Amino acid sequence: MIDLSLNEVETLSAKAARGAGFSWGLAEDIGRAARRIATEDDNWGPALLGLLDNAQSLAPPHPLRAARWRAGEADVAAERPLCPIRTAALLLDDPLEASVMPLAILDVALPVWLDAMLRRSTMRVARPVALPRADVVIERQLEIAQPVAGRRGAIDRQTLAALNAFAARTYVPESERSRARGAGGGRVDD
Amino acid sequence: MTAIALRPPEVVMRLQRLGAAHPTRLSFLRQLIRRATRERWRVRKERFELDDHGFGRAVYAVETPARIYSLVAFSTPLDDENRSDRVIAQAWDTSYVLYDGLPDEVEVARLEANAPLQEAGRYTSRELVLARANKSVRLFEDVAATLAHGQQPGEEQLLGVGYLLRTTAVYGNGKFGIADRDEIAARPELSGSFQAEMLTVWLIRSFTLDLVDHVAHRRNPGGAARLAPDLRRALGVGNATGLGMAPFLVRHPLLTHSWFLARETALARVRAEPHAGEAERKGFSEALADLRQRVARWQSDDGRQAAATLALAGDLDTLAENLDQLLAKPQPWDALYRFAERRFSLEGQEACVALILEPHGALIDELGETMKADETPGHTIDGGVTCGSLRQALLDSYSWAAGIDFAQTAANARFWYVSAEKLEPRLGERFEEDGAELEQPLATARDALQLAAALAQEPASTRVSDFLLRWPEWRHAVRRAQIVARFPYSDIHDNLIGAELRPVDILRAKLAFFGARSFDPRSDRWLRIALFSGEPLIEDVAVAAPAGEAA
Repeated sequence: MIDLSLNEVETLSAKAARGAGFSWGLAEDIGRAARRIATEDDNWGPALLGLLDNAQSLAPPHPLRAARWRAGEADVAAERPLCPIRTAALLLDDPLEASVMPLAILDVALPVWLDAMLRRSTMRVARPVALPRADVVIERQLEIAQPVAGRRGAIDRQTLAALNAFAARTYVPESERSRARGAGGGRVDD
Repeated sequence: MTAIALRPPEVVMRLQRLGAAHPTRLSFLRQLIRRATRERWRVRKERFELDDHGFGRAVYAVETPARIYSLVAFSTPLDDENRSDRVIAQAWDTSYVLYDGLPDEVEVARLEANAPLQEAGRYTSRELVLARANKSVRLFEDVAATLAHGQQPGEEQLLGVGYLLRTTAVYGNGKFGIADRDEIAARPELSGSFQAEMLTVWLIRSFTLDLVDHVAHRRNPGGAARLAPDLRRALGVGNATGLGMAPFLVRHPLLTHSWFLARETALARVRAEPHAGEAERKGFSEALADLRQRVARWQSDDGRQAAATLALAGDLDTLAENLDQLLAKPQPWDALYRFAERRFSLEGQEACVALILEPHGALIDELGETMKADETPGHTIDGGVTCGSLRQALLDSYSWAAGIDFAQTAANARFWYVSAEKLEPRLGERFEEDGAELEQPLATARDALQLAAALAQEPASTRVSDFLLRWPEWRHAVRRAQIVARFPYSDIHDNLIGAELRPVDILRAKLAFFGARSFDPRSDRWLRIALFSGEPLIEDVAVAAPAGEAA
């Protein structure tokens, strides 16, 4: 196992998320959520890999479905499981009214991510489960819990290599020209 | 007292002015020195195990009221051809960690197996900072040889360079496994911006001075001289900084805002003072004399900086000639600043900001406490606002960019990317190099204007949360737009991908907040500086009178 700092967890996760096709803004959210998971659970690496491996098969909430949630109407599942990141982003940007909670949302992929994203809001997932997909209940939380200090992000080498491979998709290979130009040109040192 | 408005972001946050920034008494190394002096931090050399050539290891322990920190230093042989300022170097003359506590033999051995490797090593949460430095070869050797002959080096030669070693990286906040900033953010002595990094560099300075004394002494144990105290105090630590640091100010908008807001608030406070007291006049004159001396020694082969330095020298002459008359006016510091604004180069104006602040510690030093920020509040997006109002906020915040036509090649000439080879930020030529599809989100003005255009396609009453549900690729730009509207000093008011961009301007602004001097651009994308030159030595603060720095 390798012991990463939480800053490494966050930056690697954000880069890997971008490499997996999430937008820059969502990648930032994923970085912060990964950091949150790492403070509480040694399983942050596999959890992230699970998200990135499946990112392309997950669906964002349809606007009409989101409208049902806001209106407090019963949820209807779609064909593909809900992306926990896109779902959480919507809920964070436009929080549910207290009157519609608890709210059941059906067939959410990797609900641990929905839970991690919502931690910084007054909403939370009731009894989050570490399943590939599950129905969840969003409920109110009165106090926003601060992350625990003094934690590190342990990760096994294989998962780290897989996450680094996603991150590497955001890097630009050097050309002769860019190498020569580098961070500023190669004057002789003195 | 007539209030003075803060200089607005459209004046302060332009690249040209950022590229003329000067350190002030609010700069981070000055904040550190004030605290260390007030709290009488004590330094002791726990280990100094160097051979005749100066290779080996040393530990300097600093006692602060609550905790001990240690600089663990390693000095190793390095062939001249491997000595490079570039971040891509793989070996260095010296390497360092700032250790949380006092390391025992086992810990020193662990660090000795890793610190000389820098990025290729692995670290733990006991290490707060990781750094390295190379000798300024000619000067180090000259000074060692001169001291070995029992003589002192020539002041002009020594202070023309200003340092014996130059750091090429100082890493904090969890890099390569070292401690996260969260770990130290609640400790008063390290809670301010870059205090752990500045403490490291301050200790490195003392190590470099002890190193040259040691080498000279081993060459001639009976007759070597020790570097004279006034020369020790005059020397600082060099630093070479490249592109990697440039995105920092863009990526930490709330922190950036806090730094500039504090400095501008300090300036406005001092300008509003109705009179100039005797002590303040004296303090100003001393600071002016000190700066004129430094400017006379400020060397740069960069034509632009050399011209700016020359203009600055002229500005300071003019200031000295007009000083009595300016300070006799009502609101004298305001009169002085407005005089500078009318008559001086940008370099001269920003130097005046630093000079005006210098004798006013009692009025402004507490603002140093505000120069830090957690970026978390900026992360929240208010999706309840309408597309129409967000668009209007964007047009207001970015009115300065309205004249930039990003369809023009020159305005869109560059792109920021991360290099696969070095994992470092780089600046590419969009129309000449591959990789623009992997551009980093640092084109703030272009993205803001394009977001405004995308919002214009929506019904004005559409909620931003609905817009982002359909267009998640705008999430980073929406987030930034809402930050910039709330934190006006968070954004550089210039095009960061234009053909005219000189990244050294961004670097200089950040380094001035650290307390850097002697800016020496080596190209448009990297520069050398000096830190701590002319400042107290850390081993002297325990005996220094705190009033000396507080004046």
